[in-house]
Amino acid sequence: MRRGIVSGLFLLASFAISVPLFAHHGNAAYETSKAVVLKDATVTKFVWGNPHTFLMFDVKDEKGNVVHWAGEAGSPSSLGLLGWTKDSVQPGDVITVYIYQSKTGRPVGRLNRIVLADGTALKDSALGYREQ
Amino acid sequence: MRNHVLASSALLTAALAFAPLAPAQDTPTARPGQVDQRPPSVYQKVAEAGPGGPAPIHDLNGFWNGPLEPKFADTPSLTPLGQAKFKLNIPDPFSAHSNDPWRTCDPFGFPRSATNETRGLAFATMPQGIVIMTQYNKTWRMVWMDGRELPKNVGTRGGPSSRWYGYSVGHWDGDNTLVVETTGVDDKTWIDRRGYPHSVDMHVEERYMRVDRNDLELTVKIDDPKMYTKPWIVVTNKFKFTPQQLEDEQLCVPSEAIDYLNTIAIPAGQDEVAGQK
Repeated sequence: MRRGIVSGLFLLASFAISVPLFAHHGNAAYETSKAVVLKDATVTKFVWGNPHTFLMFDVKDEKGNVVHWAGEAGSPSSLGLLGWTKDSVQPGDVITVYIYQSKTGRPVGRLNRIVLADGTALKDSALGYREQ
Repeated sequence: MRNHVLASSALLTAALAFAPLAPAQDTPTARPGQVDQRPPSVYQKVAEAGPGGPAPIHDLNGFWNGPLEPKFADTPSLTPLGQAKFKLNIPDPFSAHSNDPWRTCDPFGFPRSATNETRGLAFATMPQGIVIMTQYNKTWRMVWMDGRELPKNVGTRGGPSSRWYGYSVGHWDGDNTLVVETTGVDDKTWIDRRGYPHSVDMHVEERYMRVDRNDLELTVKIDDPKMYTKPWIVVTNKFKFTPQQLEDEQLCVPSEAIDYLNTIAIPAGQDEVAGQK
């Protein structure tokens, strides 16, 4: 199945060049086989935008340096069905983030889910159903 | 579901790996063997409501709920000029290199407001016509029902100016079908998210047929001889009369869209990964 997904990724990428893909949210840039888990992430910004919502948060790396991350998620209409609201996350909140990182290696990606300090899990509308 | 996946093309199989990539985000698309745990969308919930009785005559007033995106219908046949214009349009508002006006929340214009983001639709009557409203970006269009004709020579020197949403007139066909005709749309706009172009002389016909109290069916037809060799139906769509007449706010905010491009789309490197420059 993993190979199917990897070859599917390349297939999708090649189709992206030759055939316009009308993805409502394109995930070709992200490593979606496994989510990166980031604990003790401090939220700095939450944009409840349409069609893009995204979250910005700071995480300390192994050396203690702060890394500025950004993760996108589904549209407000889709996320609203899963319990998200415009006010679910506020700057200063400390959360755990499950994110499919950009294949470029930059600290940006597509959220699988976030888990708030009180244990509430907010899943992404596209891939959040996957337990990672 | 599993057989459907196995029988699909390779593209669909790949697309399912990143469900949902298909425009119909209302349709659950779990990976084979995995149960999709997403709750039904508002549209999916209201879709279960029955006909609700016969359609009232000459009345579409109220709020209607639609799917995220309509169904594309005919594949258009472009003229040489149409081909040349089509090549210039690079779809995908999530790509750093697209020139889709949606990237920066430019007005969809018409008919894109009927072919893209169609979750909410509303009608209201005014003394001389009907106002058609689309939830996405809170747009409204005036449809004159007083027998006046569409303007001519739009966009020419001395003629009326083109508009993002053009000019519309309408009439009832029988008891339950509203026919709207539109022309004079600024040719900056795209017909749909695929980037199909149009000229200012494009003529669009919408037919809204109220099948019963709760069901509305839409067909959108394009006639633009400068760009297309013959008239073609761009989309069909189906709407349900919204119980409790609720409506949602959905705005594309330019500052947020630009923020998204700089924070997510460009660093994520979608084009690098896909092999584009």
